[in-house]
Amino acid sequence: MLSVTNLQAGYGQLQVIWDLSLVVEQGEFVALIGANGAGKTTTLRAIAGLIPKQSGNVTFMGQPITGLAPHMISRAGLVFITEELNLFEAMTVGDNLLLGAYSTADKKKTNQNLELVFDLFPILKDRQKQLAGTLSGGERRMLAIGRGMMADPRLLMVDEPSLGLAPRVVIDVFKALKALHKIGVTLLLVEQNVNLTLQIADKAYVMEQGRIILEGGSAELLKNEYLSESYLGLR
Amino acid sequence: MDPSTTANLLLTGLLRGGLYALMAVGLALVFGVMNICHFAHGEYYVLGAYAAYFAYVTYGLDPIASIIIAAMLSFLAGVVTDKLLFSPLRKRSKGDWVVNAFLLTAGLSVVLQNVYRQVFGMRYRGITQYWNASIKLLGMNVSADRVIAFCIALLAIAALWVFLQKTRPGRAIRAVSQDEQGAVLLGINLDSIHTLTFALGSMLAGLGGASLLSLSPAYPFGGNKPLIASWFVVTIAGLGNVQGAIIGGLIVGLFESVSYFYLGQGWQDVASLGLLILLLLFKPTGLFGTQIKSVWER
Amino acid sequence: MQQSSGTIQTDHTHSALPLIEKLKSLGLSLPLLICLTLLGLAPLFIQDEYILRLLVISLYFGSQALTFDFTGGYINAVNFGFAAFAGLGAYAAALVAIHTGLGAWAGLLMGALITGLVGFFTGLLTLRLRGIYVSLMSWFVGMTLMALATALEDVTRGARGLIVPPIYENATTTVYFYILFCIFLVVFVILRLIIHSRIGLAFRAIGQNFEAAQASGVNPTRYKLLNFTISSACAGLFGGFYAHYVGIITPDVMNMGYTMEIMALAFIGGSGSLLGGVFAAFLLIPIFDSLKYLMDYRLILYGLLLILVMIFYPAGLAGLYQTVIQKIKLAIKKQRPAS
Repeated sequence: MLSVTNLQAGYGQLQVIWDLSLVVEQGEFVALIGANGAGKTTTLRAIAGLIPKQSGNVTFMGQPITGLAPHMISRAGLVFITEELNLFEAMTVGDNLLLGAYSTADKKKTNQNLELVFDLFPILKDRQKQLAGTLSGGERRMLAIGRGMMADPRLLMVDEPSLGLAPRVVIDVFKALKALHKIGVTLLLVEQNVNLTLQIADKAYVMEQGRIILEGGSAELLKNEYLSESYLGLR
Repeated sequence: MDPSTTANLLLTGLLRGGLYALMAVGLALVFGVMNICHFAHGEYYVLGAYAAYFAYVTYGLDPIASIIIAAMLSFLAGVVTDKLLFSPLRKRSKGDWVVNAFLLTAGLSVVLQNVYRQVFGMRYRGITQYWNASIKLLGMNVSADRVIAFCIALLAIAALWVFLQKTRPGRAIRAVSQDEQGAVLLGINLDSIHTLTFALGSMLAGLGGASLLSLSPAYPFGGNKPLIASWFVVTIAGLGNVQGAIIGGLIVGLFESVSYFYLGQGWQDVASLGLLILLLLFKPTGLFGTQIKSVWER
Repeated sequence: MQQSSGTIQTDHTHSALPLIEKLKSLGLSLPLLICLTLLGLAPLFIQDEYILRLLVISLYFGSQALTFDFTGGYINAVNFGFAAFAGLGAYAAALVAIHTGLGAWAGLLMGALITGLVGFFTGLLTLRLRGIYVSLMSWFVGMTLMALATALEDVTRGARGLIVPPIYENATTTVYFYILFCIFLVVFVILRLIIHSRIGLAFRAIGQNFEAAQASGVNPTRYKLLNFTISSACAGLFGGFYAHYVGIITPDVMNMGYTMEIMALAFIGGSGSLLGGVFAAFLLIPIFDSLKYLMDYRLILYGLLLILVMIFYPAGLAGLYQTVIQKIKLAIKKQRPAS
């Protein structure tokens, strides 16, 4: 579904991503893991069209999307949930979710999605009329994911969903992601929490310093020596 | 102070304030969404005034029709301006486009004023009144023009409010003003939203100019006073704060009315500045703060 | 904010003469010295009163553009009441000259002082706020100054005009030119020294990113205030000169249109280049003046030029100059074998 080939990207004079290639098949749950500063966020941003300085090819559902404006990429069904969430702080939870459905014309689908979001995150339903800026950290992340879901995505890219969250909340969030995966949404996840991620993802790419150094099915990766030492031993 | 004077001051202040609010809201919108300090806002007020004048006087249209046409033309002018000027600016410069946009509107203001002068001449184009009537309010006779202008302003603001709160494009505008990246990632076309916002701001200004034609005739430099007034209101209320602009407009209208009464024209400006200075000393972000993430230096 | 490095050229040839090096460090590179010398000598050879007047006015507007750029091109704040500040200096100098026997220079100093003070307080009020607030505040202050100038008729004679004695008895245009020229040189060197010092770096940091500047230990508010005060003082200084030169001032000198012109000159010249505005002034003012039928359209053209520059070539004339120099250097390098 998503195919990235030879991606080079950076900011200004600084190149961050070096010749990166990855593939996400339809229905897969793929993880992009690595330490801080490895370039994972930059990769997602580049795919989402947020980085002007890039070269390489990105294809989504058979269509090339390299160089497309980010709002077009979003409308094509490739939805990106950033780490900083980019919530509309002064708008209500309800309005935020409604805006998620901005590019969907289908009213019925929108309502269905809203039901789904409230099922997965009942707390959002309670806080519908509250301003997004007043939510707690975990609630904000749930809202961000819920909003992304409202965009009716074919592929959802999520950047560090567990960052800064209490363990119990992290489990809720990952449960929601799994549920999404179950109903057919393809997922590309960036995470530092390698252990948890590898347990639910189908396959993973490991990044270091802007390059992919390891890739494979989660099961094998969990057994990988290098990975265990560098990333799992400390977790 | 006897009650009739108070009532008079109150009324004048409110009527004036309503129109200030209208202009200020347009300005706050442009600043809040596009982050542009719009310095040519007054020129769209004048455009509306000219349009209404020609519609009403030259073509003999009905006052309401003239005002509506003026508003539509101003809206169109806003679209053209954004597409012609701001859009290329956005595409070309990356970081500092905000300051450049500010300067661009300053240049635009100069150009428009002098274009008006060349095309329409320095003549004042005014009318005595749209409606030959006066309305009795609070024991005084007020010209119908004034009251209707005030009502138009209120209606326009209310309509804008509904638009921003309840419609899809309106919500998108609010979203862009709060988090551009978030909006873009949800499929919102930034360019379109900017054009729409600017067009709305211009329309509001043109509406003001058109409704007040009997009080402020159309002439090339007629935009200066409305520009100053709207910026004053917006600075007092808080840059980019649309709700604040409404209340701020009314407050400034009342304040000016009162200070004019006691101090006369020359010193009224000084009084206004004094008010602004006082406010900045104690609440630098304006009476109502701002919706922008941070008014502290970025 | 586009910033070019001014007229300093990175010249790799060593000069045996320490004087030339010293001059370079003051901002007076060779091409600039040549231009300045030509300008300085010109009035000695020109008899035509009209051309002499053009020189003075061009230099005046260029000086103001220089002053404007000191703020606009560095700390990201546009003094929108600039003409009013200059006008304040004009009135102050005029009143000193008229009512006291202290002589023209005292008047000029007074102009600079008072305007500097006003600038100081304007900056003080908007210290910790975004650049835009300083711009807005200076705009409102400017309007108030203009209103005051009109209202305080007893002092300023309002629209009837305040007649200002000449700077010296029987001063000719040539005399005025040289006086302005000297003031201009001194101010330029001082401003440039400041810009190329640590203070100037602080200015630039503030202009780019206030918070980052704060984080790196710079005290942004202090520098912002310093910058704005200095440029206000200079505006008042030149304004004082203007009062003497023109001979009669009305509140109209504080008109926004002049601010726009100066601003346009500064940005067309190249924001941050300091001297770009001076070149723009010497380029545009004579052109507009000589093509009389263009006068009506003068402001439109200034506005259009400003718009076009902002969209298509924010580096302005200075940027153009740099690009041309680079190309010439490259061409020269290609001629020589690898060194």
